[in-house]
Amino acid sequence: MRILKAQQINKTVTTSDGQLTIIENLSLSVEQGTSVAIVGASGSGKSTLLALLAGLDVPTSGVIELNGKDLTAMDEEGRAKVRAESVGFVFQSFQLLPGLSALENVMLPLELHGAPDAEVRARNYLERVGLGHRVAHYPKQLSGGEQQRVAIARAFASEPKVLFADEPTGNLDSVTGATVIELLFDLNREQGTTLILVTHEQRLANRCLRQITIDAGAITSDLSVDEDEIRVELSE
Amino acid sequence: MSDWKLAAKFLWRHWRSGELRVLSAAIVLAVTVVTAIAVFADRMDRSLQRQSNAYLAADRVVTGRFSIPEQWQDLVSDLPLEQSFTAQFGSMVFAENDMQLASIKAVAPGYPLRGDLEVSDVPFGLGNEVYFADGIPEPGEVWVDSRLLPILDIELGDTLAVGNRDFKVSKVVIHEPDAQQGFSVTGPRVLMNYADVESTGVIQPGSRIFYKWLLAGEDGSLDEFEQRIKPELGEHFQFRTLQGSQRSIGSALDRGKSFLMLAGMIGVLLAGVAIAIAAQQFAEKHVDTVALLKSLGAEAPKVRKLYFTQMLMLGVVSSALGLITGEFLHQLIASSLSSLFGVELLPASWTAYGLGFFTGLICLLCFALPPIWPLPTISPVRVLRREINIEQLSVRTRALIGLSAVILLIAIYSQDLKLTVTVIVGLIAILIVAVGLSLAMLRSSGQLGAKAGSTWRLAISNLQRNPGHSTTQIVVFSCAIMLLMVLFMVRTSLIDEWRLQLPENAPNHFILNIGANERAPLIEEFTAKQFEFNPLYPMVLGRLVGKNGETFSEEDRDLSNALRRELNLSWTDSLAADNNIIEGQWWDQWQSVDGENGVSVEAGTAQEIGIKLGDELIFSLGGLELKARVSSIRTVDWNALTPNFYFLFSPGALDDYSPTYLTSVFVPNDDKRFINEFLRRYPTIVIIEIDRIIERIKAIVTQVSQGVELVLWVVLLGGVLVLIAAVSASMARRLHESSILRALGSGRKLIVGSLWLEFSLLGFASGLLAAFGAELILFALQSLVFEATSRIHPLLWVFGPILGAFFIGLLGAFACRKTVTVPPALVLRELQS
Repeated sequence: MRILKAQQINKTVTTSDGQLTIIENLSLSVEQGTSVAIVGASGSGKSTLLALLAGLDVPTSGVIELNGKDLTAMDEEGRAKVRAESVGFVFQSFQLLPGLSALENVMLPLELHGAPDAEVRARNYLERVGLGHRVAHYPKQLSGGEQQRVAIARAFASEPKVLFADEPTGNLDSVTGATVIELLFDLNREQGTTLILVTHEQRLANRCLRQITIDAGAITSDLSVDEDEIRVELSE
Repeated sequence: MSDWKLAAKFLWRHWRSGELRVLSAAIVLAVTVVTAIAVFADRMDRSLQRQSNAYLAADRVVTGRFSIPEQWQDLVSDLPLEQSFTAQFGSMVFAENDMQLASIKAVAPGYPLRGDLEVSDVPFGLGNEVYFADGIPEPGEVWVDSRLLPILDIELGDTLAVGNRDFKVSKVVIHEPDAQQGFSVTGPRVLMNYADVESTGVIQPGSRIFYKWLLAGEDGSLDEFEQRIKPELGEHFQFRTLQGSQRSIGSALDRGKSFLMLAGMIGVLLAGVAIAIAAQQFAEKHVDTVALLKSLGAEAPKVRKLYFTQMLMLGVVSSALGLITGEFLHQLIASSLSSLFGVELLPASWTAYGLGFFTGLICLLCFALPPIWPLPTISPVRVLRREINIEQLSVRTRALIGLSAVILLIAIYSQDLKLTVTVIVGLIAILIVAVGLSLAMLRSSGQLGAKAGSTWRLAISNLQRNPGHSTTQIVVFSCAIMLLMVLFMVRTSLIDEWRLQLPENAPNHFILNIGANERAPLIEEFTAKQFEFNPLYPMVLGRLVGKNGETFSEEDRDLSNALRRELNLSWTDSLAADNNIIEGQWWDQWQSVDGENGVSVEAGTAQEIGIKLGDELIFSLGGLELKARVSSIRTVDWNALTPNFYFLFSPGALDDYSPTYLTSVFVPNDDKRFINEFLRRYPTIVIIEIDRIIERIKAIVTQVSQGVELVLWVVLLGGVLVLIAAVSASMARRLHESSILRALGSGRKLIVGSLWLEFSLLGFASGLLAAFGAELILFALQSLVFEATSRIHPLLWVFGPILGAFFIGLLGAFACRKTVTVPPALVLRELQS
């Protein structure tokens, strides 16, 4: 089943030097439950693409459908509703609120959507990311890896259909990054979430079933990998 | 979870992280200062209204030369009014060997309905010896004026006869609420029970008796009573209510209230600035939070509701807290001032508390909401692209909203359009001047900084980095320091003036009604006792009836109190030291034309009646006409408590009018008994003890300034809050800079030194500006209000900048201590993440 579809999308912005095209005539579709890595050099437009696909931003032209809903036909309120229902995020800079404890950070999206069992679910996810003993700690009392694990717990706690991750290991050393990647894919598999991530780290891209490379706002390659091949690669 | 519950949860989390403390403290402060002043002013208003009714000893009085007709009781039987009666007459009273003409007042139970009767068990009692009477004299007992005891050579507990009846003298009367104001030359008071009057047998047909029917109660019943009684009064009875002089108490009170409210307004304004800075900082910090919330699917209206509900809750809780602290502060003010009133302060009305609460919400609405308002419009893309920011309302729009709040609040506080406009224009003028001067100072510090060492350069560049914040702080601190300076100078100079005018041996007794033949022995006795006393002034009672050949009309009399009553007229050839001729000539230079009499008029009276130099005034002295030409206009220092007169005649002008004499004298406390002996020898002389008045005025000056000072300290606290808000708004930048400097090897000394210097410079500039402002205000006060010679106050110019630099330097360095206590690595790591 197709969860995400982008058709002929363009994104141009006005700068002091005139119009700048960031995404140009880009089309893609993503099946539910898969994992997609969007790779490309700095400035290739991958973060902009992620923002457009997640409904955080709107394309200048083209259509984006997420979970069967046309994001481009909606206003910001409508897109917010879709994000609330179907989308989770993991960011490079973690985006944890410094004044909230680990538990409260994970509870935040659940509370926003009025989940009655927010605390129980948040505790459960913190256990699953291995931070059950640090629920009362504040972000500044946690290491970078721990902070990203809290962010992953927060992203999965609202059980989204699609999880968007923007350079999730960009701020982490390679060992911590590997642990975080492992966690991300384990949870993804367990929950059947669709994972769309932006990265320039090949190791992370290789874990995905599909790798889309973009350059100057256009797709230059789109490779699908058999799941079994990944297992083989990992075992090697 | 309901939105309210969620908002409460968020609010608690934000509170816990310390983001809201300055904002909340500023609201608490604004509400505190307004509540304290409004509640106190309201209580004072209600109590003084009630207390001025004490001048009547009731709310309404019916007076007459005949006893109050019994059938009039039917008029009030259904009204919830308290009532009492008094009858006043002159009669001889007798002791074993002596007798004296006394002013007898018979009072019925309940007297006084308003105010308090002060009595003592010690003749001429002072201080703790005086207490409020718990009722009226028992039948068979009288309470008397202290001076009657030596005249009759009796002690408390002895017997005194009025007419056919003997009474036990059980207390002395110190003060009656409805005593005649001024110096009345009637006999000493004897207060007796109304029920005893008949048994004395002194009331005969044709006796001159003054009856009063006293009534007190709620306004509605009193109005109803007035309507019923007025048609019944006829020509023998009068209905009396508070008029005339009491009106001036009301207007003085209104002015006092306006002044306090405007002082409070400065506190609110400072709090508003602190709120605006803190809210701006809160909004900046929450841009990321809102972007995250929106990326998590929160719609803009939900975010708006979430934030506005939090602000509303914060406003309500902080305002409620402000009400409590305001109530506490008002109790402090009230307890420091309560002894001024002599009556229990009535509880305040709810509107006074409402005003405080309303202020808190208005401050929040107009100072905190504008920076927070655009927060929900932030695009959720900011979670990925940090360069995206919100479009804030322009500084001009926010300043306009803040200014409208200030105008609204001032209008509500003063309830006076003219005053509001004056204050607003004044405020704007002060702000423009202060901002201009502080910007000029900042700019000139730049040239200084360029030539200075690294500590100075760092401090000055910090000041110049954010000229908006630096200017705000300079203006805010200079306003607060200026107010304190003005209060300090006014209070000390007022008290100094008092000390100068009332030295240790200031006259404490006025002696009146001295007969011509008593002058020499009196001077002899006072000289023998080594008492310091003023010259004996002759005094003749007379009325001013006309000017330049025309008699004053009813309308003229309505305009001036001096035309409605008998005046004490005198003459002297030497001008008293506290009198100053401002127009015309004193007798040593004045030339009488055709043997005309001359008269020198006090300036205030001359202005009130419209008397000019050269006018011919017509006086009536015991039915005889006396004309005199105005030869000079004098100012008089009424504060000096020495004998002074509105009209002083040329020597000899009053020779034919058999004057009595008056003087004032200092009698040491140890010699108070002398007064008793003295009065026994000269029973017709009247002595008025003014120690009590002096004590009271000294207490008023001290207590009023203490009350105002309390308010001003709270205002200064507003200044401190602004500093804290501004420092915490710049904390992230300061931390970053100091971490980099420390990482690059700069010593703690350089950073602490530059912080100290930065805030000291700020304090120095504020102190300088404050001294300038205070000097201007003091100049205006001295020349316009106190009518004194204005002078420069060098102390302000020296201590203002020095103390400002010291305290603000200390405060600022303390508020920024984190910049040197937090390890630089931690700061840099946090900033990176």
